[in-house]
Amino acid sequence: MPERRKPARRPKNRWVLARKTLQTLALAAFLTLFVAAGRAGWGQELAPLVMRIDPLAVLAHLLSSRIFLAGSALALIPVLLGLMAGRAWCGWLCPLGTLLDVFSLSGWRQALQGSAVNERQAQWDALRSLKYGLLLTTLFAAFLGNLTLLIFDPLTLLLRSLTASLWPMLDQVLTALEMALYRLPLLSEPVAQFDAWIRPRLLPAEPLYYRAAWLFAAVFLGIILLNLLAPRFWCRYVCPLGALMGLLAKFSLLRRRVTSDCKTCTLCTRACPTGAIDPTKGYASDPGECTLCLDCLEACPRDATRFTPRLPEITWHSYDPGRREALAAIGAGIAALALLRSDALSKREHPYALRPPGARENNLLEKCLRCGACMRACPTSALQPSLAESGVEGLWTPVLIPRLGYCDYACNACGQICPVEAIPALDLADKRQQVIGKAYLDQDRCLAWSDHVDCIVCEEMCPLPEKAISLSEEPVPGEQRTILLPHVDRQACIGCGICEYKCPLNGQAAIRIYVPEAQVAL
Amino acid sequence: MPKLSRREFLQALAAGMGAVIADQFLVACGQKETPLQAPLPTTSLASASQTGTPQPTPTPDASETAPGPEPTDLPTSTPQPAPDLVVARHGEPQMLVQQALAPFGGLAAFVPTGANVVIKPNICVGYHTYEYAATTNPWVVGALVKLAFGAGAASVRVMDNPFGGLPEAAYAKSGIKDQVEAAGGEMVVMSNLKFVEVELPNPLSLKRTRIYDDILKADVVINVPIAKHHNLAGLTLGMKNLLGAIHQRSPLHARLGENLTDLATLIRPALTVIDAVRVLRKHGPTGGDLRDVDQLDTLIVSPDIVAADSYAASLFDTQPMDLSYIQAGVQAGLGRADLENLHIEEIDLA
Repeated sequence: MPERRKPARRPKNRWVLARKTLQTLALAAFLTLFVAAGRAGWGQELAPLVMRIDPLAVLAHLLSSRIFLAGSALALIPVLLGLMAGRAWCGWLCPLGTLLDVFSLSGWRQALQGSAVNERQAQWDALRSLKYGLLLTTLFAAFLGNLTLLIFDPLTLLLRSLTASLWPMLDQVLTALEMALYRLPLLSEPVAQFDAWIRPRLLPAEPLYYRAAWLFAAVFLGIILLNLLAPRFWCRYVCPLGALMGLLAKFSLLRRRVTSDCKTCTLCTRACPTGAIDPTKGYASDPGECTLCLDCLEACPRDATRFTPRLPEITWHSYDPGRREALAAIGAGIAALALLRSDALSKREHPYALRPPGARENNLLEKCLRCGACMRACPTSALQPSLAESGVEGLWTPVLIPRLGYCDYACNACGQICPVEAIPALDLADKRQQVIGKAYLDQDRCLAWSDHVDCIVCEEMCPLPEKAISLSEEPVPGEQRTILLPHVDRQACIGCGICEYKCPLNGQAAIRIYVPEAQVAL
Repeated sequence: MPKLSRREFLQALAAGMGAVIADQFLVACGQKETPLQAPLPTTSLASASQTGTPQPTPTPDASETAPGPEPTDLPTSTPQPAPDLVVARHGEPQMLVQQALAPFGGLAAFVPTGANVVIKPNICVGYHTYEYAATTNPWVVGALVKLAFGAGAASVRVMDNPFGGLPEAAYAKSGIKDQVEAAGGEMVVMSNLKFVEVELPNPLSLKRTRIYDDILKADVVINVPIAKHHNLAGLTLGMKNLLGAIHQRSPLHARLGENLTDLATLIRPALTVIDAVRVLRKHGPTGGDLRDVDQLDTLIVSPDIVAADSYAASLFDTQPMDLSYIQAGVQAGLGRADLENLHIEEIDLA
């Protein structure tokens, strides 16, 4: 077989080596925090830092909730970094950016587009304004109290994809492998030992399931596949956080400079992963597009490229946002919100839009970053990404789906891990008082009521000291025996959902949790 | 390390996968064995009886993690017929365990040297500490771990499968983890991997179920329930505690008595130690209200799971034969409920 791959290229430039090292470390730290967030302990304590360092999420949350959380001051670090070194965040730190470098698909891209492709792709420059439009619309919508567009924040996107698809997929593969190997007599003991070591330390003891898991994987895969069109397509054209850093980069001090040694060989243009170097402008680059990856530094055969601190000289490009784009963003924001407000869900709440404990009363929708940290921390995966329950506006905000998991009476992890207190950080005693919903019994489906089968599972499971489900002993018609029939004490019920989760019926449970009160004006 | 080419890697991977798949078929063929044969029940497992002298009692409530005195088997040479059941009252949990085992000749009568011991307490939920009597008293479990090692056990693993909350959290909350680890035992989170499908021989009701491999394969299973209220079962005691060994327990609630009898026949714990130090009289099995808890400072020990449950029922003014599983257990010959005909030794440590 002919050697197709080029031998792994060691970076010649030590700054490029430093950048790659830092990228690896940042991605490793991000993944470590993600994995550790699945279990009570330091992981869940440190996990909120991830979103609090994200200036887009912090700014949008501030605009929407009008609450500044002390912990969010962390986001000033990347802002300062942006003022000093432009989009170095994108090139050196962002975990999604690093993954897009790792899965750059450069071989396939060249095969598709021909090797002569000019990676600058000037004809697509207009598309660069998409990210600015997304940023401005996100911020304006946030100002009006809507955070839906944070689903496009790269950190929330990556966290959600990991939580709801990639990590459960890895768990499934490993479980299947363990199951297969465990059945081999020689291997069963080492496999059991491996399993005992890895669970629940890293992987959950019980498999976790997420609704529409495919969708999260598909979005993630889609963003990777966009690399086939252009390297770091996402970062160039779409990423709203990249746009925010790009605006800061207009004022940044550290800038690329081309010296007179340049012989216009175009190597830097081809090397630049974001197509920021413009041959028509003397191979200068747009600081708003440059991620300071320094690949050009390495590519330049004549050492004609320098990165030096300079007082910023602010230039505007055709694709940069101006008054027109700002007005368009405002218009788009108003139109979108008007549309959302016209949705039927604005009149009558979805009956199963159960929110994490305390979040309903806390105006979850105008605070939630859609980062999915609560779903990651929820030990029973009761917290699921909302699909229909809160419409487009609440897409991927957390809802409790009792048929998939219940709210553990001894757990308050979601409130502790939420980076912006959209789910209030209640202590356990407080959390046990929160009404998530109310249980209603369907006597037509209930085994005991309808079929006179001895089943008291809902009562047995009810965690309340006084039990919100009581049993009455009634004679079975036509038989010489009695049966215990469950009744719900609606006053006492907190809607944890363990009754619905454990109800032994197939399909819908005979006892269901509904949102606590009707929100419609009568 | 030599570099693998992609082709070599794929070849190795395919060979490995092929071997695994081939082995699955071989294993599947080899599994047409006879179903598990359970030995007949015996109610006089204990050998020569031994008595002991009381030691100073610990005060477990002073501090949850305070190490108690070392419980030890106290051998003497007074031969007596082994009792069917021992009840010890009015002492600290560790002393109750030690003294209740003494008439049997200590835990050594049930745990041979080198045995792999599994202790199955009741850790049904992770909501409350042991004072709420929803979970087995941690000092009872800790003392049993210590005594099992004293008897020469090679390993002592403690496990349950909580229905509410995470196992590791429930283990810690119950206080059992601390006591077991202090005694040198191992607290095991039950793994999905090890719930093996088992076909029961001549069952009354339970033909097949997925049950925990370590419990099936253990040399000695010690069943350590806490006595508490349960609306369907009436009470949850020794037989019902075995439900924790099962993967899917809700189907077992219909025909509960027969199912539990089948399960007890399969698992056949060498010893059932019923913790009635605190009992939960209402709102079981989860509890959560101290007003529902009575402190009885009582421990019931018997190799006969039905006899132990029958005696424990009397603590709740319940007729043993009113409990479906005791009735089914007696009818199937699993054990005895005729307390009046049993050799019961009552020990009062007050």
